[in-house]
Amino acid sequence: MFKTFKEIINYREMIINLVKKDLRGRYKGSVFGFLWTFINPLFQLLIYTLAFTYILDSGIEQYYLWLFVALIPWIFFSSSIVGGSTSIRASKDLVTKIYFPREVLPIAYVTSCFVNMLLTFIIIFITVIIAGRGIHLSICMLPVVWIIEYILALGMAMFFSAITVYFRDMEHIMGIILQGWIYLTPVLFQIPDKAVAKAIMTINPMSPIILAYRDILYDGVFPSSERLLYSLGFALFFFFLGFFAFGRLKRHFAEEL
Amino acid sequence: MDNSNNAIEVKNIKKKFKIFIDKGSELKERILFKERKQYEEREVLKGISFDVKKGEAIGLIGHNGCGKSTTLKLLTRIYYPDEGTIEMDGRVSSLIELGAGFHPDMSGRENIYTNASIFGLSHKEIDERLEDIIEFSELEDFIDNPVRTYSSGMYMRLAFSVAINVDADILLIDEILAVGDANFQRKCFDRLRELKRKGTTIVIVSHSLGQIEQICDTTYWIEDGLIKESGIPRFVHERYMYEMERKRILQVEKEQLRRQQRRRAEAEKKEEEEARKEAKKSERQKAKEEAKRQKEEEERQKAIAENPEIVDNFKKEIPFFCEQDAIRVGTGEAEFTDVKLTDKDGNEKYIFDTDEDIYLRIKYKAHKEGLKGVLGFGVFRQDGLHCYGTNTAIESNQPIDLQKSGEAVIRIKNNLLPAYYYLDTALHGIDGVKYDDIVRTKTFMTASFLHDIGISRIKSTFTVDGKTYKMGEQEHGEQ
Repeated sequence: MFKTFKEIINYREMIINLVKKDLRGRYKGSVFGFLWTFINPLFQLLIYTLAFTYILDSGIEQYYLWLFVALIPWIFFSSSIVGGSTSIRASKDLVTKIYFPREVLPIAYVTSCFVNMLLTFIIIFITVIIAGRGIHLSICMLPVVWIIEYILALGMAMFFSAITVYFRDMEHIMGIILQGWIYLTPVLFQIPDKAVAKAIMTINPMSPIILAYRDILYDGVFPSSERLLYSLGFALFFFFLGFFAFGRLKRHFAEEL
Repeated sequence: MDNSNNAIEVKNIKKKFKIFIDKGSELKERILFKERKQYEEREVLKGISFDVKKGEAIGLIGHNGCGKSTTLKLLTRIYYPDEGTIEMDGRVSSLIELGAGFHPDMSGRENIYTNASIFGLSHKEIDERLEDIIEFSELEDFIDNPVRTYSSGMYMRLAFSVAINVDADILLIDEILAVGDANFQRKCFDRLRELKRKGTTIVIVSHSLGQIEQICDTTYWIEDGLIKESGIPRFVHERYMYEMERKRILQVEKEQLRRQQRRRAEAEKKEEEEARKEAKKSERQKAKEEAKRQKEEEERQKAIAENPEIVDNFKKEIPFFCEQDAIRVGTGEAEFTDVKLTDKDGNEKYIFDTDEDIYLRIKYKAHKEGLKGVLGFGVFRQDGLHCYGTNTAIESNQPIDLQKSGEAVIRIKNNLLPAYYYLDTALHGIDGVKYDDIVRTKTFMTASFLHDIGISRIKSTFTVDGKTYKMGEQEHGEQ
């Protein structure tokens, strides 16, 4: 596995190029172009805010901000896994015709989603300031949370991208799982008091990450490091599992595609 | 690596592919058709081993589907072997898929970065090579235009320039030296040779044997997933070419034999049917027909007697044993009923080695009693050159007493050099009246491993400075 990491580092230029191409190519030809990167989450925010403020009153103060700081990281996580799982299949032409460490593909995909999220964070910061919440010292914890989430998303994207090569249904199954997963994570609403729901939400490794974003940006306090360590452990586990499974499965990619 | 001088060590690699009849990678199909075997396994490589020294260039040859491209794909690590090991020392660049990841909307310069990054180069390394790449591609004036505006030649030139400037230790090439115009090809070639001089190890898969001979030190001839032969390219290629030609003409012969068999069967069926019809007819009917035929025959003989120059086409239909474009003339008093070309054991064939005897087996019928005749044949090359002709009168001056139904075998000592030939057959009366004269009764080919030239082999023996150099005893170099 060490050899693979070394090789991937050698191919960093390819990753950078793929990320650039992806970011530039994503909204190519559309009128708003790169602006869609911001328009998309803003509209999602608008819809959820309307729904949870006027239809189902959540009773949370400044709900739009409360939601916004959690929704953007969630979109990153969700799109990394759903899109990342098809990243090998999508680059069939490259995989069947030329050699490069296959890990490059999911890494590039997840990284491009990550960069996309970081860009959207500019808007989050602006919103936080406009809302009068202010930026607190706890902001120095933000990169740590980003990295934990990145590792978790990458590990899962790796794992499922390799599976999807052999089993195409995985792509759709992942779409459904991620749709359900958002309701097991305190993104749209607070952790409920019901015991079962609370237990599930506590086991869910995404919960501490989402709560950490909210602690840092909404409440302006330091997140619970114990809970974050739990997520980090889970993320690292999936990261190594993903790389290991990928390494085993990648040998026959070219034949399967 | 067993030997540090080796750049590539391939040990006994085997590779099977699943050929899916109906590939189902969806859940429903997997579950529903779990029991059904949807694929066959085909063993493409059955155990190939070879070493390539650092700075050596090797060529892989073989007919389509022999496994040479699979071998190359295993070397590039697109596929992995089922069994055996491949070890390689150094950076590998492949000129298999040129222009991987090219984006039509991006400029030539941007695409150089994308494409080179796929070979594992860092930004700095690409910066260092950028000038060389652009210069080599001769696209200085177009390098900032989008690639979609390039001609296909320009596109390939750019792609090739990137691949060849990676500075790999091992270069894998699949049939790419057909890039751009003659000038550019020359340049690619010179660059490859320069790289080789500098110590780059090169593996080429190609159908162009000439190109391999120019660059490679060793050729591996792969057949049916195994190495059939290896050695100095020129000598291996000579035998490979011979084998290929042989295979090709054997295929032609097989088709011709099949066609001949079908036509023979049809003719036999027709004859049987006529015999059956004949048997059904009453005595009176038979007598009537016989009288009619005799009358016709007499009239015809009279016409020929009056004007001997007229030799009519007695049968418009070309008989089954002839080539389709045969021309048949004659009085029909005697006629060929079958003509075969065979080897000495009587097996019908159409391709003979130079120096292999041809047996011409003929069956004939004479419709008159006491008819005397002359039997002959002629050989023409496809371009019309009359190679040889003889008949029984020339050979012995004794006429043949033609039987009601007879047979002849002519053994022809064949010295003809490789080409297509036509064989004519003729059955004449002693006075020169054509009974049955067929032009292009048969076609045949000759094949030879030697490269002597001309029409026919005139056996020669060279003795130079006391040493005798005999034909067919060539040095083939190391095996």
